[in-house]
Amino acid sequence: MSPKPAARSAGSAGGAGRKTAAGPKVGQTVGRFEVEKAWLVDPVLGREGPGEVVVTDGILESVVWLKGSKAAGVDDKGVVVAPGFFDLHAHFREPGFEDAETIASGSAAAAHGGYTSVALMPNTSPALDEPGVMERIRSAARAGRSPVEILAFGAVSAGRTGEQLSAMGELADAGVLGFSDDGAPVRTPKLLRSALLYAGMFGLPVVDHAEDLELSAGAEAHEGYVASILGLAGWPVAGEVNAVSRDLAVLEDALRDGPRARLHLTHVSTAAALDLVRRAKAAGLPVTCDVTPHHLALADEWIAGARRWSWEALGADGTSRDPWADGVLVATPYNTALRVNPPLRTPVDAAACLAALLDGTADAVATDHAPHTVVDKEVEFGRASNGISGIETALGVLLAMVDAGRLPLARAIAALTAGPAGVLARWPGVAATPAARPRGLTEGAPADLVVFDRADRWRVTPEALHSKGKNSPLIGRELSGRVLLTIASGRLAYEDPEPASTEG
Amino acid sequence: MSGEGSAAVAWNHRHLIDVDVLTWPEIELILRTTDEMKGVLARPIRKVPALNGRRVTTLFYEASTRTRVSFETAARNLSADVVSVAPATSSVTKGESLVDTIRTLEALGAEILVMRHSVSGAPYLAAEIFGGHVLNGGDGWHAHPTQALLDLYTMREHLPGGDLRGRKVAIVGDILHSRVARSNIWSLTAAGADLWLCGPATLLRGFDRWAAAWSGGAIPGHGRFTVTSDVDAALRNADVVMALRIQRERMQGGLLPSLREYAARFGLSAERVALAKPEAIVMHPGPMNEGVEIAPDVAVSGRAVITEQVANGVAVRMALLYLLAGSHEAAHAGEAIR
Repeated sequence: MSPKPAARSAGSAGGAGRKTAAGPKVGQTVGRFEVEKAWLVDPVLGREGPGEVVVTDGILESVVWLKGSKAAGVDDKGVVVAPGFFDLHAHFREPGFEDAETIASGSAAAAHGGYTSVALMPNTSPALDEPGVMERIRSAARAGRSPVEILAFGAVSAGRTGEQLSAMGELADAGVLGFSDDGAPVRTPKLLRSALLYAGMFGLPVVDHAEDLELSAGAEAHEGYVASILGLAGWPVAGEVNAVSRDLAVLEDALRDGPRARLHLTHVSTAAALDLVRRAKAAGLPVTCDVTPHHLALADEWIAGARRWSWEALGADGTSRDPWADGVLVATPYNTALRVNPPLRTPVDAAACLAALLDGTADAVATDHAPHTVVDKEVEFGRASNGISGIETALGVLLAMVDAGRLPLARAIAALTAGPAGVLARWPGVAATPAARPRGLTEGAPADLVVFDRADRWRVTPEALHSKGKNSPLIGRELSGRVLLTIASGRLAYEDPEPASTEG
Repeated sequence: MSGEGSAAVAWNHRHLIDVDVLTWPEIELILRTTDEMKGVLARPIRKVPALNGRRVTTLFYEASTRTRVSFETAARNLSADVVSVAPATSSVTKGESLVDTIRTLEALGAEILVMRHSVSGAPYLAAEIFGGHVLNGGDGWHAHPTQALLDLYTMREHLPGGDLRGRKVAIVGDILHSRVARSNIWSLTAAGADLWLCGPATLLRGFDRWAAAWSGGAIPGHGRFTVTSDVDAALRNADVVMALRIQRERMQGGLLPSLREYAARFGLSAERVALAKPEAIVMHPGPMNEGVEIAPDVAVSGRAVITEQVANGVAVRMALLYLLAGSHEAAHAGEAIR
C-alpha cells in the first residue's frame, strides 16, 4: 500500500524529474531531463524493458535500452516511461459550459493523467459544426499555457440535431479528426449513410455513440438484476446491439459507393455489441472501436453500493457474482457519479470489454471524460447528468487491471497511445492527420512522454483532480501509477508537485 | 428467518429507507412496537407524549393523501410537532433542488423527515445531506418500507400464530413499476413466506432473473420467491392475495393492450379469489381502481382487509417514528447510508 521510496530512486526519475521543477514551468520547453534506469515501453517498436531516456531542449535526444548488469534491478513494477497518451474521446465543455470544464482545466487534467493529445467531442454550445467554433477552441488552447495537443471531432449534423449535415468539408479543412454527434447517436440511418460517404471523401471516420434512443428512453441504469432490485429504469443491451447492427449495415452499404467510408464506434459497452464488431472486423469492414476505463473496471453493482473491481465480481464460471449474496454493499447506493451513458454494465460485459482489448477488437481505450458541475450531479440519481470525470484516473484504472494480472502493461500502454493513433491512421489514401503519428519513443523528435511510478499510489480526492469535474466514482480510492511528469511536444505539461520524501 | 426467539434487539438505524437493511429480529421489534401503538390507538384518547416537542416534517413530491395523512396522524398521536411541506406550493416549483430544500427544512428545525419522491434512490441523497432522520414514504419504483411493514403486520394478524413461514402470498399487478412489490420481496422473503409475484410479462420484466438469482437461498436471511404470468397458479391455495394498482399510463407505454383486457386476465374477481384458501385475505395498498385490478365486490367482501391495512399503517408509522426518534446513531460525515 505504501509507496516505496526504493522505486522512486530506482530510476532516479523522481530525482531527475524533480530537478526540472526549478527549471521549466508548465508550457516551457524542457531544457534537460534524464531518466536513469526506468522501464521503457514503446508500443510502436513493440518493445519494453529497462532503459534510459534523455531529453535536451525539448527533443527526445536518446533512448537507450539497457542490458545485462546495467539493467539489473529494473523491472516493470516501478518507474515507467511511455509515450504521451492520446485520448480519442473527451469533453472539455468549452465553449458553452465553462462552469463544468474549460480547455485550460481540461488540459491540466489531461496532463495530470499522462495525456499529451486529446480529441474533444463537438457537443459544445454552440456545437462544433462549423470552423468558427474550431477556431474558438484553438484560440482557447493557445491562450492557455498547456502544451497538451487539443484536437477535435466536428459534428455530423448541423447543431447536432440529426437533420442535415454540418459544414463537413470546411471542418475537414479546419483539421477535425472526424465527425460525431456524440452524446447522441447519428439520428437516422439515412443521415449516417450520407455522413459516412461525405466524410469518406476526406478519409475521415464517423464516430458513433451507439444507442437506440427508443429502447433507452427514460433509462437510468443498465437493464438487469441490479436495476431490477434498485427500481431503476433499464437501458437494455438490445439498445446498443441494435444501434451497432444498424451502423454496420449502413457502413457496408456506404462502402459500395464510397470505399473510403469508415466507422469508429466509441464507448462500446456490451459483450454482444463487441461480438458484432469482432465479426465485422473479421469480415474486413473498416470499423474500429474503443472502450472506456469505467466500462472495463466498474460494473452496475457499484450503483447498489459495491466497490470491487469488475474482475473481482466475476464468478469462477465466468458469470457475474451477486453483490447482495456476497455482502459487499459498502457505499451509499445511487451515487450519481456512477450515472453515465452508456451505463455501467455487468461484470460479464466488463470482462468482454477487456477481452476485446486483448484480442484487438477494441483498438483503444478512450476516457469519455465528461466533467459536470456539482449542481448537475448533486441531484436525484435519475435526474443527474450522465458522465464520469475520468481523464485523470484512466491510467490508474488500467494499472489496477495490470496489477491484477488481467492486462499486460504493454497492451495497456498501447491502448492509450498507438491504439488511438491507429484509429485515425488505419486507412491509407489520404494524408494522415498529424494526430495519427506513430506515438512511440522516437529519438530526435520533440519529446512527448509520460513518466509514472507504478509503486507510488495516490488517493483520488476532489482536490487531487485538476479537472473542474469532481464527478468521479473513484473519489476516496487509491490508485497506483502516480504520474511524475508529462512532457508534450517538448514542453512541460505536468510535474508532480509532491517531493518524494513526503511519500515514504 | 422468523421465529427464532425474541431476544432484546436494540434499534440502531438512523434512517429507514428500505426494509432490505433490516434483520428479522429488527422487523420483529418493529412489529412488537406496532402492537404497543395499536394499544394506544385503542384508548379513548389516542395520544401519548412520546415525541412531545420533536419535529416531524413531511415532504411529499408525489401526490398522496393516504400515506401523508397516515404519517401526520401517526406523528400527532405521538405528540410531535408536524410540518407538512407540499412542493406544489413551495419553492420547489421555483426550481429549488432537493438538496437545497432539505438544507432549508433542517435549518427550520426538522428532526425527522418523512419523504416521498418519484425518483428511485432520492431518500439516500436526502439522508446524506440531512442531519436528522429520514423515513422513506416511497421512492420511485424502489421502496415503500412502511407499506411493506404494515402489510406484514396485517398478514400476521390474520394468520394462525402470526407466522408467515410457508404461507402463500400472491401479489398480482404491475410488479415492474411497484415500490410496494419490491419492499414486500425483502420483508416477505425474510418472513419465510411462499411469495408469488404475478402479472403480465411486460410488467414483470427482470423479475424472473431476480427470482432465479435468489432461488438457491443465495441471500442470507431471505428465501426464494416465484414469478409467473399464470394468475390461477399464483392464486391457488394462497393464504394472502394482494392486488397492485394498474396505472393508465401503462397503456400509452405500450405495455398493456387495455385496462379491460387486464381486468379480464388479471383482475381479482370473486371467481379467481375463490382459488385461494377459503380463509384467505385480500389486500390492496390503495388507491384502488375498482373494476380493473380488483372487482368491487371483492374489495368490499368479508375477505378484504383493506381498511385494516390503512388503520395498521398509522400504528406501524407510529412505531417507526418512535424507534427512529430514539435512535442515537450519530451522523458521521462520509459514512455510507444504507
